[in-house]
Amino acid sequence: MNIVGISACTSGIAHTYIAKEKLIKAGIEFGHKVRIETQGTIGIEDELTKEEIEAADLVIIAADIKVSGKERFKGKRIVEIPTNIAIKAPKQLYKKIEAELNSKP
Amino acid sequence: MLKKLQIKKHALTAISFMLPLVVASGLLIAIGNLTGGTVIENYQEAYSIPSALVSLGVLGMGLLAPVIAGAIAYSIADRPGIAPGLLMGLIANAIGAGFLGGMLGGFIVGYFVLFLKKHLKVPKWAEGLMPMMIIPLISSVVVGLLMFFILGVPIVWATDGLTSFLTSMQGSMRFVFGAILGGMAAFDFGGPVNKVASLFADGLLLEGIYEPEAVKILASMVPPFGVAISWVLSKMLRKKRYTKSEEDNIKIAFPMGVCMITEGVIPIAAVDIVRVVVSCTTGAAIGGGFSMMWGVGSPVPSGGLFIVPAMTHPFLFLLALLIGSVITGVMLFLWKKEPANEYAEDTTEEEEFDLSDIKVNI
Repeated sequence: MNIVGISACTSGIAHTYIAKEKLIKAGIEFGHKVRIETQGTIGIEDELTKEEIEAADLVIIAADIKVSGKERFKGKRIVEIPTNIAIKAPKQLYKKIEAELNSKP
Repeated sequence: MLKKLQIKKHALTAISFMLPLVVASGLLIAIGNLTGGTVIENYQEAYSIPSALVSLGVLGMGLLAPVIAGAIAYSIADRPGIAPGLLMGLIANAIGAGFLGGMLGGFIVGYFVLFLKKHLKVPKWAEGLMPMMIIPLISSVVVGLLMFFILGVPIVWATDGLTSFLTSMQGSMRFVFGAILGGMAAFDFGGPVNKVASLFADGLLLEGIYEPEAVKILASMVPPFGVAISWVLSKMLRKKRYTKSEEDNIKIAFPMGVCMITEGVIPIAAVDIVRVVVSCTTGAAIGGGFSMMWGVGSPVPSGGLFIVPAMTHPFLFLLALLIGSVITGVMLFLWKKEPANEYAEDTTEEEEFDLSDIKVNI
């Protein structure tokens, strides 16, 4: 699958980026193409492009705080989780997402 | 229901907005104080660079409640929440309700704006006026008046009551007096109760009574030191008490504490308010009691560890500070629960996680 997403944590200096790495790393193992935009205290980095969002099959938002720019994902399938799930259990997350998608028509 | 309101997420959003402001303002005050600056009273007269730094820091601390309220309201209601949220924070400042008042105001006005956004129907031609005029005006009037006239009243009563209580206590046992003053100064981490105690101590300083000032300084440092001690204990005894992000906050709070800035503890207290407030207040009260009993006095109103040499009994002060901080630290260590959602540093093995709540929304 083509997956795009956003990560953002409270202090915005560490877990935001760990969550991004974990999501990408585990995503590759499952054969997904993952692109994550970070919204740390420094601001938005690696901003998702319009084309990337358009081509995405799924959006993962891993955030403990309010993220900006959610309206870009209108009409997309969205999964919202706290950052600790992305950091601690990214593989289980992908398995769960697949199970969810398969159970839906 | 509670889960749907996402109170924690809104509070965390406010903290993430507030952190850079607290750190910058706190360090400005500390640097300014150390270089001999004071708050500028009259900008028409000449003032020094250190005084400019202190004043900027104090102005920044004054922005705390508005930024907290604005960020909470923004997190709840998106952009239309920002303006009314900032206003509620200003009211909290004006009536002396501090950061707790700001949080309360932010939540109330945020949900009110969200309610207006969802349920207030206007004719087509007025839709453009909704975010620009109607929502900010109605929410500011309704929640603003609520803050001024209803929520403000008990806070003013509490402030008045405490002040007269303190004045009447002055003649009795020194330990009790020091304990009350210390407890108050630590109770809300630089908020209105702390300001009452602080004002009281500063007032007595002008009368030539130095002891309450030392208690105030001690009580401002006990919370950050106590939290740091509980963290060190948890590391030494290998019992997890803080999440990784809380540990990062403690690493910021400790050096701020050295400079007598208590606000660094707020992010840790906000997540576990009862345990942290009770532990910090107890430690500061006992430390304050000893400091008062031993007759430690400080002729300088602030400056943290750096002005200890200027005190009348510096070693007794340090001893009282140590006692208070250790009590707070041990209490926190014993009382705090192991964090439920601890982040793993870097493990390839994943522990089992309950992901049944996760839904793919279309």
